[in-house]
Formats: sequence, structure tokens, C-alpha cells
Amino acid sequence: MARIAGVNIPTAKRVPVALTYIHGIGPSTARSICDAVGIDQTRRVNELSDSEVLQIREHIDSNITVEGDLRREVQMNVKRLMDLGCYRGLRHRRNLPVRGQRTHTNARTRKGPAKPIAGKKK
Amino acid sequence: MARAVWKGPFVDSYVLKKAEKSRESGRNEVIKIWSRRSTILPQFVGLTFGVYNGKKHVPVLVSEDMIGQKFGEYSPTRTYYGHMADKKAKRK
Repeated sequence: MARIAGVNIPTAKRVPVALTYIHGIGPSTARSICDAVGIDQTRRVNELSDSEVLQIREHIDSNITVEGDLRREVQMNVKRLMDLGCYRGLRHRRNLPVRGQRTHTNARTRKGPAKPIAGKKK
Repeated sequence: MARAVWKGPFVDSYVLKKAEKSRESGRNEVIKIWSRRSTILPQFVGLTFGVYNGKKHVPVLVSEDMIGQKFGEYSPTRTYYGHMADKKAKRK
């Protein structure tokens, strides 16, 4: 059991893989953390000593925004756009794609599951 | 691709002239502009521009956060009131 960056407890997986369970750390960031701390990428989390876990924790705390802090940062950025009244903010308010994608079809990630249109059968 | 830095920000020259004039006069009047493509510069902060959207001039009070964006982003060109079908579905 290793607690890194708050609530995350990745277990018997390889270190770079386990680290990606933290919100804000993807495969590439995870690999760079391993390099920075000097941990071989083939090692697993349960093989790490306490001091190594501590090193990883400190490295993440001081260099990378993760979890709650990251979510708050993203939220603040979106909120800033919405308050400005600019085009990107309007798109966020409507829950539509922000970067100029088509909405005639697709855009299901932003719009959510397709809703049937009343009276379109026959 | 992003614009080359050595060119500096793009602003239609008449926007600069109008902004300077209203700065000097000191009155806070709406500056009517048609140039939606112009970049918002730091010296525009605090001024009110009427940005044309194809129909009318939408008043935009420039704040510090807007610097670097274009005027057009603050003056939507399309009006969308939703589909009739959506309203019917909600009533049911």
C-alpha cells in the first residue's frame, strides 16, 4: 500500500503505470517522475522502499499540480472564460464543443447521449 | 499555426486612432468599430467598444483578461433560440 498525492493507492503494478492512476499524471509524466527520482521503470510499487515512496511523493508535491488542485485550476480557467462573455465562454455555458468542431453530427462527448426528436418516426 | 512574433499583434489602424482620440477626450463613449479581427491591446483596457456583429454594434467593456484576444470573440454573430422539438419534449 502506498499513498501518493492524497487518496491514491495504486498497488501491484509497475511504478509508471501505477502513477497514472493519479489525476493529472499520464504515461509520459509518470515516466519522467521515475527518471527524476531514479527508479527503474520495470519495478513494481510493492517493491519500493518507504524512502523511495517518500521521494516520489515529494517530487510530485513540489513539481506537479495533481488531483484537487488541478481540477480547481481547470475549473477556474473555464469559469474565467464564462465570466468574460467571450465566444469560448459561451460555448462552455452551452456545453458545446469549444474549438470549432462541427455540431451538426457528432460532438456527443460534450452534448451527452443522443436525445430522440419527438415526432420524427414513420 | 500561431502568428509570427516578429510581426507584432494585428490591429486595424483606424481602431488605434479612434481609441487614442477617445483616450484624449476623456469621455467614455462607445467606440464603434467594424474590425472584429483586431487584437485587443493593453492600451484598450477600460474603453468601451461597439463591436459590429453584422447587425448592430455590441458594447464591449475591455478588461485586463481580454488582452490578446480578438474583438470578434466578444460579439456573437449568430442567434440561436433552440429547436421547437426540444420545447415539446420538455412539456411531456
